[in-house]
Amino acid sequence: MEVSNYWYFLSGLTLLSALMVVLSKNPIHSVLYLVFTFFCISGHYVLLNAQFLMAVNIIVYAGAIMVLFLFVIMMFDLKKNIPDSKTNLTKLAGTVVAGSVLVILVAAFRTIQYPTPDESTFNPNNGMVENLGKVLYSEYLLPFELVTVLFFVAMVGSVMLGKREVGDRNF
Amino acid sequence: MTPVIALSLFGIINLFLGFTFKRQSLQVVTLLFIICSMALTAMDWNHEYLWFGDMMKTNNLSINFSLIIQLAGLLVVAFSNGFGKDEVYTQPAEYYAILLFSLVGALLMVSFQNLIMLFVGLEILSVAMYVLTGSDKRNLRSNEAALKYFLMGSFATGFLLFGIALVYGSTRSLYISGILYNLSHTAPESLPSFLYAGIILMGIGLLFKISAAPFHFWTPDVYEGAPTIFTMFMSTVVKTAGFAAIYHILDVTFGGFQKNWIITVYFITIITLILGNISAAYQQSAKRMLAFSSISHAGYMLLTVCANQPSTSSNILYYSLAYTLATAVSFAVLMVVAEYQTGRTEKPENFDALNGLAKNNPSLAFAFTVALLSLAGIPLTAGFWGKFFVFTDMFNKNLTYPIIIAVLMSAVGIYYYFKGIISVYFNSGEIEKIETSFLFKIALWSACIGTLVLGIYPTLLKSIF
Amino acid sequence: MEPTNTLFMAKAVIILVVFAITLGVAAYSTYFERKIAAFMQDRVGPDRAGPFGILQPLADAVKMFMKEDFIPSHANKWLFIMGPCLSMLTALMTSAVIPFGDTVTVAGVTFDLQGIDVNIGILWVFGIVSLGVYGILIGGWASNNKYALLGGIRAASQNISYELAMGLSIIAILMFSGSLSTKTIVEAQQNGHWNIFYQPLGFIIFIVCAFAECNRTPFDLPECETELIGGYHTEYSSMKLGFYLFAEYINMFISGAVMATLFFGGYDYPGYEFVANKLGETPAAFIGAGALIGKALFFVFVFMWVRWTLPRFRYDQLMNLGWTGLIPLSIYNVLVTGIGILSGQPIIAGIAGFVLLILGLIIYDQLTVKKKIA
Repeated sequence: MEVSNYWYFLSGLTLLSALMVVLSKNPIHSVLYLVFTFFCISGHYVLLNAQFLMAVNIIVYAGAIMVLFLFVIMMFDLKKNIPDSKTNLTKLAGTVVAGSVLVILVAAFRTIQYPTPDESTFNPNNGMVENLGKVLYSEYLLPFELVTVLFFVAMVGSVMLGKREVGDRNF
Repeated sequence: MTPVIALSLFGIINLFLGFTFKRQSLQVVTLLFIICSMALTAMDWNHEYLWFGDMMKTNNLSINFSLIIQLAGLLVVAFSNGFGKDEVYTQPAEYYAILLFSLVGALLMVSFQNLIMLFVGLEILSVAMYVLTGSDKRNLRSNEAALKYFLMGSFATGFLLFGIALVYGSTRSLYISGILYNLSHTAPESLPSFLYAGIILMGIGLLFKISAAPFHFWTPDVYEGAPTIFTMFMSTVVKTAGFAAIYHILDVTFGGFQKNWIITVYFITIITLILGNISAAYQQSAKRMLAFSSISHAGYMLLTVCANQPSTSSNILYYSLAYTLATAVSFAVLMVVAEYQTGRTEKPENFDALNGLAKNNPSLAFAFTVALLSLAGIPLTAGFWGKFFVFTDMFNKNLTYPIIIAVLMSAVGIYYYFKGIISVYFNSGEIEKIETSFLFKIALWSACIGTLVLGIYPTLLKSIF
Repeated sequence: MEPTNTLFMAKAVIILVVFAITLGVAAYSTYFERKIAAFMQDRVGPDRAGPFGILQPLADAVKMFMKEDFIPSHANKWLFIMGPCLSMLTALMTSAVIPFGDTVTVAGVTFDLQGIDVNIGILWVFGIVSLGVYGILIGGWASNNKYALLGGIRAASQNISYELAMGLSIIAILMFSGSLSTKTIVEAQQNGHWNIFYQPLGFIIFIVCAFAECNRTPFDLPECETELIGGYHTEYSSMKLGFYLFAEYINMFISGAVMATLFFGGYDYPGYEFVANKLGETPAAFIGAGALIGKALFFVFVFMWVRWTLPRFRYDQLMNLGWTGLIPLSIYNVLVTGIGILSGQPIIAGIAGFVLLILGLIIYDQLTVKKKIA
């Protein structure tokens, strides 16, 4: 099979599962479809020969973040039917906005000519972990280090907000 | 760059100092830290540097923006009183550390040369603000505000990222210089049309942060729900940094494509002006009024971004400084009065709570008045000249209709700002003498004097900017 | 046949064999678990089916299949079935990247005794392990039972907490090998340069985390019967329950194999060169595969040994150990490893770091004990 066939198959699967995330009524199903979507995206990374990103995508998103999502959603009482809080006007406005964004993007992408890569300079191993590490620690050193500040802020903040206070219950 | 490193380290040191230091001394230490990093910022004056492989560029413009941002941080820390009243439920070391970290983010936003840096800076600033908004965790309104801000803010970040991706896809570079090079070396017809979608999406992401009109729905709730001291920080630092970024993206990077984005931004500007001012006029709560007034001021500043004249950057600087000083003072006075009124009246942040402030607290009342006059744009205050420069830009560009709307809306503005002044001076009410700390007084008076000096000698700073 | 096709066939055979060995080991682990428990408690253990009870796993399997397959009425049916299947799937997938042996030549075809040699091997293991919790979580939720839900939630938080320390202890290994590929990691350890000599602390952290990831005692809080009846598998019966239990034993075997790969030289054994010279590369490689499986089985034994020796943790103790004990320790380990590599004396640095840590702990303990008395 051609690589492009794999691509079409994976893309179709990705779109389908992403749609199911939005359409399914049960939040647990939504989360599981979202996990599946991440797997499909990881598949795209494999097609791009970016194996490190594929593994990290699975570990971080499917393995950690979505587990926490599931964790929280499982605590909800799903049997209680919460009435739809959105009015018809909001729904209409949302549809119009999303629809026009879709039309614009489709129109924009329809006409472009993708440049073919220059075979003399193209390096198929660009996505490998060795190359990625080199780029991260040379060209992108500053943002890479500053991301630590971002995580540190998030960490300090969550500890501060989540810490048990005087007078709070234990559980 | 040195202030970025210094502030990150100071933030970490601050967390450690929290173990041993008392509240008031933490405040002093934090002030010293910010002054130190301001000195480090100013040391690069008149030099132009590129840092770490073109990731950041510091020049006089970015230094000016950095100084204004750090000045705002300085004022907020000075007004904070060390969070001393609430011994059990406040964690000053964490608050100050997060403030310092968020200043790092703001500094990145004013001096980025790579879109990745813009994203990282914006996220550092935003995450810090989400946390601080929810820091009053026993207050339901604060929790609601934090959640609202977080959800909407992450949505806006998504827009920004999508825009960056589209811009990268069409220009094959994340560096501002690379984008400019590729844009100028490609025929406009052969540029992919999703570049324009990318510009607009990036614009949406940034306009959200400065709360321009169709993306302003979070502002009143978040400003009202957050503890006042952090509302002050939000409305000064985030706005200044956001405008620096917007100027950098729309005017510097994509200034050549003005015809593609100008109509959208015009539309947004005019809606922002009208909605911000008209809604502010209806508010009973002074804090909410200030929130809407911050929306309307975003509209005025957007006007000069639309005009895109050579003087635009200096106008944004001047307006940011004037707005920062005035807003900080008005929030500070509101904060101490609300603190005093808590338990005495039902809604301590309403205009009614300010009634009769002038009788026993003439200095607070005077400072509040000066700040509101400056926000309204009355002559002899900094706010007047800020608006004046903006309108001059518009005249130079021959944009008549927006000016008419802006002037009309300034008139509406005078109405609601004077509501505050009237309740302070002319309405009767019982407010005893409110004790404030020494640092609070210094900050209040220096901000007031700054407003007046800038109002009387606007050329003083205009020559530097 | 074309070379690619022969290679494909060879790989398919390897995967099948690994599959069979894993399942067989898992089946007999149940038998040995009971035998070891019996030995430790001075009993006889299963001895009815066949000589020494050797056919016991078969009898168990028949029992499992014959039981009524029951699905609770308010359970989410599809997810209820999916839970054990996911557990089994993720348990089996990890073995794909473990190098069971060096290059062998059979019938003129040369290939590695390894499912796939990807350059992110260890991340693959890590990714699949992090997915392992889905089976438990989904099964626990779909049962529509509070105990099962609590079990699932415990499993999720436990896995996420211990993954961090596990990843950090692997980082120290990666600093030595400079590669994520399991094959390269094993090749760097040939001729007795096993990582355990360089990384004693890293190994201890890793094995503790492995216990927690496999939900084995003393970390078997998700199925702690004194508190949660059966935990996440309270509502399961028949072969669905069998799948869960099977997945646990498979996980034990695979994590033993991973530990052997990372810390104990993989398929390396003393006298490898000698055997290779006498008998040729291929038999030596097959003996190596046997050595790896032997090491893995030893770790399975350790798992059981610990299970019948130690009592269970309390849940807050478990979280404390993970977040405030193991994570700082593994960061310390990364630091020591860095010093070792920079100074050029990795063994001395590794052991000195370990000794220093123990000394520090003893001194700290002494100081606090004195304080408590005074």
